[in-house]
Amino acid sequence: MKKIIDALPLVVFALLIIVLFSFLSDKDDQLETALIDSSFPDFNLGALSDESRLLTKRDIIKLPALINVWATWCIACRVEHPFLMKLKEESRLTIYGLNYKDNKFKALELLERDGNPFEFSIYDFEGRLAIDLGVYGAPETFFIDKNGLIRERHVGVIDERVWEEKFSKYLNE
Amino acid sequence: MKECGKKNFLNILMNKPFLFLLFIIFSLQVSVEEGQVNFDNDAYPFTSEIKESLFYSLLNELRCPKCQSSNLAGSNSPISNDLKREVYELVVEGKSSKQIKDHLVDRYGNFIIYNPPIEPATYALWFGPFILILLSALLIILVRKRII
Repeated sequence: MKKIIDALPLVVFALLIIVLFSFLSDKDDQLETALIDSSFPDFNLGALSDESRLLTKRDIIKLPALINVWATWCIACRVEHPFLMKLKEESRLTIYGLNYKDNKFKALELLERDGNPFEFSIYDFEGRLAIDLGVYGAPETFFIDKNGLIRERHVGVIDERVWEEKFSKYLNE
Repeated sequence: MKECGKKNFLNILMNKPFLFLLFIIFSLQVSVEEGQVNFDNDAYPFTSEIKESLFYSLLNELRCPKCQSSNLAGSNSPISNDLKREVYELVVEGKSSKQIKDHLVDRYGNFIIYNPPIEPATYALWFGPFILILLSALLIILVRKRII
C-alpha cells in the first residue's frame, strides 16, 4: 500500500504531462460559434458591384448557400478562391460573398481577373455584418441551410478536405 | 555634476549589453502599459462621465477575438477597433454593462468575456481546483493518520 502512495505523485505528474501534451498538438484554435442553428442576422448594406444597390437578408434567397467572408488583403482567401470557383461549377450550392473591410476597386479587379464564384458580394467596409456574424478574421465560411439557418462555420481556408469533413453532409440533408 | 552622472549612467549601459537590454525591455514594458490606459478622448466623445467610465471598463473586460491574449483596450487590430466602435455605440444608446456583454456573447460566444459563466461546460474550470484541494487534504489526513 505504501508503495502505491509513494508512486502517486509520479503517476499524477505523468498523467498531467500526457494531458497537457495532447492539448499542445490540438491545433484547432477555432472559436466556438455562437450562431449555430440561429437564423442569418439582418443587415442593410450595399452590393460590392454597385453600392447603390441595397442588399438585405431577403436577398439571400437561393438556399442552401455558403456565405464566404473574403478580402483582397487576405492572402488565404486567394488560396481558397480556386476551390470556391470549382464549388460553384460542380454543386447546386449558391455562394454569396461578404467583402470584408476591403478596397472596393481592388476587390472588383480581383473578381474580374480570377473569376467570380459569388452570386453577389455584400460590401461590408466597416465590418458591421461581420460583427453580427461573430467574424474575427478572413477567410470565414458559413453554411446556410434551406430553412435559412446557420448550420456550420469554418475559420480559415476552405478546401476539399474541409468541405468533405464539415460541410458536405449538410448539402445532402 | 548632474550632467556627469547622466553620462556615467549611459556609459555603464553601453558597456554592459545585458543591462542595456534590460533597460530597453523595461522601457518597452512601460510604454505598452501606458498605451493601455491613455485613450484618445476625442475618438470616443461622451456626454456623461458614467457612460465614459462604463465604456473604458468594458474595453478592459472584453477580449480581443483575434489576438486572444489581449483585451480590447490593449489591442489595435482592425477587429478590436470595430468592436470598440460597436461597444461605443451601445454605450451611447444607453445600454447597460450586462446588455452589452450579452450582445457580444450572442455573436462571439463566451470567449469574448474573460469571466466565464458557471454552466456545465465550465464546471471543471470553476470547481476543479476546489475538488483537487479537498482530495489532497483527504489524502494528507489519511496518510498522517496511517490509515493507508
